[in-house]
Amino acid sequence: METAAGVVKFILDNSGRIAEYAGNHFSLVLTVLAFSLVLWISVGLFISRHDRLAGGVIGLANVLFVIPSISLFGLFVTIPQLGLGRSSAALALILYAMMPLVRSVYRGVKSVDRWVIEAGRGMGMSEMQILFQIQIPMAWPVVFAGIRVAVVMITGMATVATFIGERNLGRLIHHGITRGNAEMIIAGAVVVALMALLLDYAMGLIERKVTSPGLRHGDRDLQ
Amino acid sequence: MIQLERVKKVFPNTAVPAVDELSFTVEQGNVCVFVGPSGCGKTTIIRMINRLVEPTSGSIFIDGENILQVDSDRLRRRIGYVIQQVGLLPHRTIEQNVGLVPRLLNWPEDRIARRVAELLEMVGLDPAEAAQKYPYQLSGGQMQRAGVARALAADPPIMLMDEPFGAVDPILRGRLQDEFLRLQREVQKTICFVTHDINEALKMGDYIVVLNAGKLVQKGTPMELLSSPANDFVKALIGDDRGVKLLDLTRAESLVADGSIKSPAVKDCSCFIDALQPVKMALEQMMKHDTDSVGIRRGDEVIGALTWAEIKKHIHRISGDEG
Repeated sequence: METAAGVVKFILDNSGRIAEYAGNHFSLVLTVLAFSLVLWISVGLFISRHDRLAGGVIGLANVLFVIPSISLFGLFVTIPQLGLGRSSAALALILYAMMPLVRSVYRGVKSVDRWVIEAGRGMGMSEMQILFQIQIPMAWPVVFAGIRVAVVMITGMATVATFIGERNLGRLIHHGITRGNAEMIIAGAVVVALMALLLDYAMGLIERKVTSPGLRHGDRDLQ
Repeated sequence: MIQLERVKKVFPNTAVPAVDELSFTVEQGNVCVFVGPSGCGKTTIIRMINRLVEPTSGSIFIDGENILQVDSDRLRRRIGYVIQQVGLLPHRTIEQNVGLVPRLLNWPEDRIARRVAELLEMVGLDPAEAAQKYPYQLSGGQMQRAGVARALAADPPIMLMDEPFGAVDPILRGRLQDEFLRLQREVQKTICFVTHDINEALKMGDYIVVLNAGKLVQKGTPMELLSSPANDFVKALIGDDRGVKLLDLTRAESLVADGSIKSPAVKDCSCFIDALQPVKMALEQMMKHDTDSVGIRRGDEVIGALTWAEIKKHIHRISGDEG
């Protein structure tokens, strides 16, 4: 109880700083998300139509994903054009988002019932019409599962970018550790967690907007 | 009219052709059923007609036009296609599913709406109730009906149906078959129908093409197949109840009018069937009433009678069997 009260007090006393960190954090996450969605959804769609590339691309995504984040951030800093700060942080996070996004898009498109595609083709839909009117709309539930994993992951992982000069919520955690200040660590973690939850919730809302009710019947109990 | 000329399909990495030098014609307004065991090439044939599969050699003509000279998407929009799995788009409403081809053809929305309502009615779905539903909200039979409605949407002159009633239970299948035959009398499409079920073939087909291992074994009307099967394969396919099946396809009046069967004393008959009913129904009545003769009525008028001995004689005469 004492700690909880301490955390609340810390947050109230430092609201200006926390707001600044949270703002930086949020803008980094949104930047990464915007780039990642455009890039990785395109790549996912591309390999779903060129199966020979799929193994290699997904393999690359897996390899990138298992590199420890702190070392990848550090590596990018050593590249002169990137250096300390946002560019390195954003690039590293975009690469981490590749695995959940590319994989879910690929799997989502590939999991579409072949008989639905057969029927579409048999009725005279072009390959592009099949992609945009059948495969993509039917892939949304799987794709959104990947997007939600990516969003939560990016939000959490962005804290590490504090070590390469990002003034974000990671800084609270980092300083808390060096100063042995538990309230500070918890305050940072709580705000990061709230942000992740908020973004996940927002994605859930978008998912409900985008996904056809005809595909949602299975998860009515989960809402 | 659909014409196949020496059509052959060899799939990559296979030695035996899936379809081997097949030639036949399906006349305008006829139902042609392709029947045979799995792997006989029947599905490949209809998939070649809408160019989902390209023939290795030979030509296919629709109303005299070589289909290879038509853009495949445009060709398919003129051909209704129904498959066993139905393949309704699960993320679209029934209205959107049925209206799919008209939308591909850029029909105006009000015309699509009218057409969809008309079609749903035609296949026995209530437009007010079904149109806004999603496929998962329908039963298996309703989905099949929606699939047929979708294939009919742009009023294509040709329909390809690949085991359309294969996935529903036997009672429902019988009902869908009856509804389909009634519908076909109305719409008069040229239909290629694939099944592995000989009974379905005999019931649905104006003509039947029997296939085995990609080759044509026999083609003919159901009556021709039953009365003179070309070989043991066709006999085995038809089964041991060829005589009974024949009686199922023979109208009672045809035996009475035949002249070959003299009417016995009609007054002895304790039961009657309608002249349009199959002779099988006469047998049913005989068993039920434990009698050897059944009266044949046309409307209120009794036009003759059938006896057990005469039916037996008829089977032997038609099928050429001894004893």
